[in-house]
Amino acid sequence: MGTAENAVEIRNVTKRFPGVVASNGANLCVRRGEIHALLGENGAGKSTLMNMLTGLIRPDSGEILINGERVSMRSPADAIALGIGMVHQHFRLVQTFTVAENITLGMPTPRFRLDMAPIEREVSEFSARYGLEVNPRAKVWQLSVGEQQRVEIIKMLYRGVRVLILDEPTAVLTPNEVKELFDTMRRMAAAGETLIFISHKLDEVMSISDRVTVLRAGKDVFTADTASTNVRELASKMVGRELAPPPERPRGVFGRPVLEVDGLKALGDRGEMALKGLSLTVREGEIHGIAGVAGNGQRELAETITGLRRALEGKVVINGKDYTNRRPRAIIEAGVSHIPEDRLGMGLAGNLPLTDNAIMKDYREDEIGPGMVIDSGRATAWTRDLVSRFQVKAPTLRTPVRLLSGGNSQKLLLAREATHDHNVVVAVHPTRGLDVGATEAVHDVLLAQRSSGVGILLISEDLEELIVLCDRISVMFEGKIIGSLEREDVDIDRIGLMMAGIDPQGAAHGKGADQVEAGV
Amino acid sequence: MSSSKKLLVFITVLVALAGLVRLNGQSYAAEEKFKVGWIYIGHPGDAGWTLAHDEGRKYMEKQLPWVESIYVEAVPETSDAERMMTELARKGCKIIFATSFGYMDYVQNVAKRFPDVYFEHCSGFKTADNVATYFGRIYEPRYLSGIVAGSMTKSNIIGYVGAFPIPEVVRGINAFALGVKSVNPNAKVKVVWTNTWYDPATEKEAAKAALDAGADVIAQHQDTPAPMQAAAERGKYGVSYNSPMSKFAPNAVLTGPVWNWGPYYVSRVQAAKDGTWTSGDYWGGLKDGIVDLAPYGPMVPENVKKLVETKKTEILAGKFHPFAGPIKDNKGVVRVPAGTTMTDAQLLSFDWFVENVEGTLPN
Amino acid sequence: MGKGLIRLKLVFEKRDPVPVSYRVASPVLAVLLALVLGAIFLAASGFSPLGVYLEMYRGAFGDWYGVSETLVTAIPLALCGMGIALAGRMLLWNVGAEGQFHMGAWAAAWVALSMPDAPAWKVLPLMVLAGVAAGAAWALLAAVPRAYVGVSEIITTLMLNYVAINWIEYLVHGPWRDPASLNFPLSAPFSDAARLPMFGYTRIHWGLVFAIIAAIVIDLTLGRTKWGYEVKIIGESPRAARYAGMSIERNIIITMAVTGALAGLAGMAEVSAIAGRMTRQLSPGYGYSAIIVAWLAKLNPYGVLLVSALFGGLLVGGYSAQFLGVSAASVNMLQGLMLFCVLATEALGRYRLRIVPAAGSDGDSDADRQGARADG
Repeated sequence: MGTAENAVEIRNVTKRFPGVVASNGANLCVRRGEIHALLGENGAGKSTLMNMLTGLIRPDSGEILINGERVSMRSPADAIALGIGMVHQHFRLVQTFTVAENITLGMPTPRFRLDMAPIEREVSEFSARYGLEVNPRAKVWQLSVGEQQRVEIIKMLYRGVRVLILDEPTAVLTPNEVKELFDTMRRMAAAGETLIFISHKLDEVMSISDRVTVLRAGKDVFTADTASTNVRELASKMVGRELAPPPERPRGVFGRPVLEVDGLKALGDRGEMALKGLSLTVREGEIHGIAGVAGNGQRELAETITGLRRALEGKVVINGKDYTNRRPRAIIEAGVSHIPEDRLGMGLAGNLPLTDNAIMKDYREDEIGPGMVIDSGRATAWTRDLVSRFQVKAPTLRTPVRLLSGGNSQKLLLAREATHDHNVVVAVHPTRGLDVGATEAVHDVLLAQRSSGVGILLISEDLEELIVLCDRISVMFEGKIIGSLEREDVDIDRIGLMMAGIDPQGAAHGKGADQVEAGV
Repeated sequence: MSSSKKLLVFITVLVALAGLVRLNGQSYAAEEKFKVGWIYIGHPGDAGWTLAHDEGRKYMEKQLPWVESIYVEAVPETSDAERMMTELARKGCKIIFATSFGYMDYVQNVAKRFPDVYFEHCSGFKTADNVATYFGRIYEPRYLSGIVAGSMTKSNIIGYVGAFPIPEVVRGINAFALGVKSVNPNAKVKVVWTNTWYDPATEKEAAKAALDAGADVIAQHQDTPAPMQAAAERGKYGVSYNSPMSKFAPNAVLTGPVWNWGPYYVSRVQAAKDGTWTSGDYWGGLKDGIVDLAPYGPMVPENVKKLVETKKTEILAGKFHPFAGPIKDNKGVVRVPAGTTMTDAQLLSFDWFVENVEGTLPN
Repeated sequence: MGKGLIRLKLVFEKRDPVPVSYRVASPVLAVLLALVLGAIFLAASGFSPLGVYLEMYRGAFGDWYGVSETLVTAIPLALCGMGIALAGRMLLWNVGAEGQFHMGAWAAAWVALSMPDAPAWKVLPLMVLAGVAAGAAWALLAAVPRAYVGVSEIITTLMLNYVAINWIEYLVHGPWRDPASLNFPLSAPFSDAARLPMFGYTRIHWGLVFAIIAAIVIDLTLGRTKWGYEVKIIGESPRAARYAGMSIERNIIITMAVTGALAGLAGMAEVSAIAGRMTRQLSPGYGYSAIIVAWLAKLNPYGVLLVSALFGGLLVGGYSAQFLGVSAASVNMLQGLMLFCVLATEALGRYRLRIVPAAGSDGDSDADRQGARADG
């Protein structure tokens, strides 16, 4: 049986989803009273593991031990009964309720009469003990993001949670709030609570955690005391795999710059500064890759370039002309094609048939219909042409695109964007979720575009993809380009470090830089 | 689209089946009675205007057993009214009573198409060969009820919950106020408009507003007893309207002008049957029995009753007219010089308030 | 941990796509259900259900007069409903057709009253123009804040209804009051030239032609033009539309203007053809009923024509039921019941009810077996 000093022990768990092995014999051992960091790229299996630990999903095999006892959980309520709770990245709070109401929400007691006074007292107690400053009578919508996070933490503590999982808790916080959070975490650990801290940010891991486990491809590949490791080691464990060097290909012929971004600043959806003065250039015939962990401003970058998001500062220059904060239509007409991250939510209208989706960028042109009219014959011919040239498999042209496979809907989108008169492509995660065949098809299209002189900005989390395709790779971290490498100089370790916020050639970025330097 | 089509098909099928069953003959198979139709603006259950008409209809039915009466309730003053009168005429009604002012133009339209049917329009002013109008001098009992209110008030503020600022209502307020003034020159009548005929909640709120302003007697012009109930809740008095309302607020209702349409309906239906019906503007008063005062509440002292009865006798004898001069408006201008009496035409287009009324009229 | 317990629960599952058979059957089922429920209610109140239904049918569709009156009622429903349907295509909820109707009527009345001597060829087109413009302007008061600041059009259009209705109240009680009508709240009657012609002996007026033309134009525009295409994309996915460079703001403005124009046209037709003067009660709530019409018609313009005729029949037939002694309140209940059934089966048709094992309990035994193995 397990050791009682381990608050959580996960042994050799496996979880398969159709087509994916999300967890592949993963282990995790968290000691009572420690802050345990869980590191890994997107898709490394962190959320699967945590979902198993919180009763959201059940492992296909393997076992979970809590305080040395084997347990089987079927719901988050079961997990909470066992003292395990999670603070998600997206808070689950009722905006119009008060803090105290949110905290009791969903609790079995009290059943009928709700006396808020003792609850408010208890909340204040937690606040005082762990430095979780929050007014129990405030309405949630009045609170800052940091305060809302505190409410989530108190909610868990109020339910008797002794093992608290924090899923990328710093992603939404200001630097000052991060400091306060870390302070709270240390006080909780000192009081004997156990914390699991999920993060991409190596510097934060180094500064807050006692021990660290790195996950890759559904497996734990490395566990160590934080003090005995360093950023460089962790980064290489995280990226880990042996990547083949980029295939030989003649150096491209790059022409004039087609897309220039200079000092761009923009807000994210939650009002945080997502782009913090970003600059880059894409030239004719060049694929410029943007690597980085998701959530570092990639989506905002693509949206700001294409006119879907307002730039606060800086410039977007397309083909030598300033297009900052112009309407999306002007930017489309300036020759920018856009393969968005959210294929069915933005790039395509899922309920509409192929024809409606195929003409979305060119319906204003006479090819589709003269003047104000849409000629359905021409629209159909247009669609048929796209479908045959790009080998989109669809039952009929009238089929709603949401019924197509991911690969085929992406091919349709790509066909449309490649056919539209353009010389810039902004592609965001263009192969995410696609199978090998479809991925290859997408790569072929991008390379063909490059050969025809189009400049491509390729935002991707898939390093292999970037290495294979790009003429130049820049790494994005916290809304900025932290460093760039030419194809010839690509060094996977350096990219890994930069993705974690450290440019080995320059100074470290982000918070906690001092500790990191010391660690290195 | 396809579903709507199916709905139509379904209804058509239902209809075809119905045609086979042929069950719809019963109303026509009955022995032919003399048919009389009514269209009501409200529901007979409203305890007010429509109830008074419906009681008149029932009275007529009892008096004239050879009549079959048909009524349609809750008919708005829109194109629906024209259709419902047409339907009544097509159902064979020989005389049709339209009991709301807003039906006026529609009565004219239908009357043109059914020259053999007589139409009676309550409270309107457009007549034709086969269209008569009828109304009552409710201002006479209003004046009498004002005497009661003026005698009972202690705060000298009387609230009047007005329906719409139209001549009929203004006339009622003025008659009431003059009645108040005759016994209590210091009392003021405060008017609160609701712009409703039937909206218990609004009318109750309006009465409360008047009570809050210090009124200790509430009069009203709407079809619900809500203002009376508001007065009762505060332990104050009320003067009701349309039909006796004391059962809704027995401790509050002093009295109130009431309608008594029955005798008029009997005579008009009889005339229609006999072929003696003629068009005209009927405007009966206390002496015709078409308007009266509701029974007094127990709190009304004998001397007040006596005062009222004296005035009533004078009106009945034609010795007294509530709108005999001198009358000043509430800006102090003499509108009716001493020695003259307002004409019916002036009464029918009343658009100013008498001296002791506080309130506004749109202009 | 609940070993051996089989937990079952009821779940609503979304049907995607809704089977064609159900889409066909649902309105039929709905009407049948409503008729049966209504029959129980009527029978309990002492009426013959069949008799009442037949009387309702007779009143609405039983003869030419009934049909013509049903169409008269259907005209304002169709015009308002057409606009609401168009806005609905863009996921805009115009609940302000009632107010736009009144403002259209007001503007038309204003033209009619200002030129009492003008010939029909001059005054009627001007009345149409004025009605359309006023309805559109009234809708724009809600559309502009919606497009540029994101103020919910549901609230603003609704509030503007009260403003419009009170504006009419004010006019007929005040400045527009006709002295010749003894200070009653009526405007002066329009000249005969300002009355929209009716067909034959019926009260069916040119509004019907307007409604049919509107349906054809809207259908063609939505299906065959670039603007219609933009409306379709915006309605399906505003994000995709913005991504494709469409101006959502501009389209909100255009669509709301058209929807208001149609309601304004309905108001113009009603005041000119039916009322013949401005009165305080022009509409028994056409603008609100039209919302139901639009959604029952699945936002299809021809569907709106058809459903308004049926809806008009329901309203007209409802009054006829009173001839059998059914009270107006009972009739309202019956009408409500029918609408409720249609809407409910429509909504439920998108889901089905299934009994499934509670989450996790199917995997339960597996895990327990494995647990046993591990222990052994």
